[in-house]
Amino acid sequence: MTDARPTRRFAQLALVALIGLGALSQARPALAQAARDPQAEQFVQTRAQRVITVLADKNQSIAQKKATFHQAIDQLADVPKITNFVLGKYARTVTPDQRQRFAAAFRVYAESVYQNRISDYHGEVLKVTGSTVRKPGDVIVNTTISGGQIGQPLPVAWRVLGGGTSWKVVDIQFKGVWLAITQQQDFVSTIDNAGGNIDVLISQLQRDAQRPASR
Amino acid sequence: MNGAPSRTLTKTSRVRARTLALIAVGGLAVSAASAHAQNAAVEPPPLVAAPAATGDSVDTAYDPLQGFNRGSYGFSMGLDRAVLRPVAHGYMAVTPSPLRRRVSAVVYNLGEPSTTVNDILQGKPKRAGRSSARFLINSTIGVLGIWDVATGMGLKAHDADFGQTFGRYGVRPGPYLYVPVIGPSNFRDGVGRVLDFFTDPVGIVGGGYTTTFGATRLGVQTVDTRARADTAFRALDDATDPYVTARSAYGQYREAFIREATGQVQALPDFDAVPADGAAVSGGAEPASAPPETAPAPSEQSQ
Repeated sequence: MTDARPTRRFAQLALVALIGLGALSQARPALAQAARDPQAEQFVQTRAQRVITVLADKNQSIAQKKATFHQAIDQLADVPKITNFVLGKYARTVTPDQRQRFAAAFRVYAESVYQNRISDYHGEVLKVTGSTVRKPGDVIVNTTISGGQIGQPLPVAWRVLGGGTSWKVVDIQFKGVWLAITQQQDFVSTIDNAGGNIDVLISQLQRDAQRPASR
Repeated sequence: MNGAPSRTLTKTSRVRARTLALIAVGGLAVSAASAHAQNAAVEPPPLVAAPAATGDSVDTAYDPLQGFNRGSYGFSMGLDRAVLRPVAHGYMAVTPSPLRRRVSAVVYNLGEPSTTVNDILQGKPKRAGRSSARFLINSTIGVLGIWDVATGMGLKAHDADFGQTFGRYGVRPGPYLYVPVIGPSNFRDGVGRVLDFFTDPVGIVGGGYTTTFGATRLGVQTVDTRARADTAFRALDDATDPYVTARSAYGQYREAFIREATGQVQALPDFDAVPADGAAVSGGAEPASAPPETAPAPSEQSQ
């Protein structure tokens, strides 16, 4: 009985120490701050928020949202650059005619897919939390998206290229996964498996885009 | 009468306390050894950062067992469609998402001790302190983990597992592996998962998957995980090659998770350099390069 005391006291001490340790660990030292780019941050804050606001708007019909999304995308993303990037090594061998048809098919496909994807998360408010300049004109802007049905703020990173007040998004990262990089591996594999025939991918995209939007 | 049992009780609790202290000291010792690394990159930002290190997109595509993996993938997705998806969708249909979030929180809380084990093995005492404080606080004040009160106290959640611990000490992922039913993995993370199972403190105390507690936990965890992954599954439906999309996403996700522990920086592809020849950045039929939008009005305000 008598030696129960020290044990309990130890346990209490340990508890206090643990909580103290926890408290300490939140007072994190300032990160060796890599340069931020306020203009790139401002761009993402404004443009990406606009897209999210459109998709979260309950007063708009799906068709209206589609139309607004179509417009907003051109202001937010560098569509030509992304179109080229997702072709990977095949961007070098694609014929001008194929490129044109691919660009058209990819545009429709990507709009429907990304609209679904972003809507899935029902986010409402985008907040820029920082940015990292990889090199001048190539910046990763970190944000969180919250509100709607999101429990905890969702970290999303935007890779933007440009300069000054003129920027465009080329890729989006969520849970470590970059959309355009993933898309590239997806497409390149599809073309590989078709023996290098890009037309197979194009017709598959055209088929996919015609499927109903909400499943 | 009472003396003997109570003494054994105190003895075991003292032993347990001593073991705890030992583990803590062990963790500190390990961390002292790597103090330099710690100082170099304390708490790397969760997402991404600056210039090139070693690329990881090559690793994500290392798939010498593709034949087996594709078969395993097809089988597992079929099984998902037949069993797990209907169960998860049923669960999502009958429960409101606030309730599901509480279930997820309980499941997550039970994983916290395993996180602490790996924090210690990684020589990260602060993270270990945070995850163990979270477990104590959320299990008590947060009522068995239903409420994540610790986050409100500034103790933010983080994950850790054996795959990450291996990665933190430089182990490469090795060949991609699609484990039937269980899902995407690789040699490193597969071994990690097995170790996670055998070292999970909650699993050890709860008596593995044979007890009612263990079986319930496994069942709830499986449905919860599948429900939370539902958007990812839907994203796979949109892919032109779902197998490769899952492989790519898994590889990127895991490497990002391991960079959290190493503090390394991700190497990213160059969007301007894809076409090998020609100065035009994104030539072809599309209007070349980014036609810089005629400067957006500087008055644009954030919300």
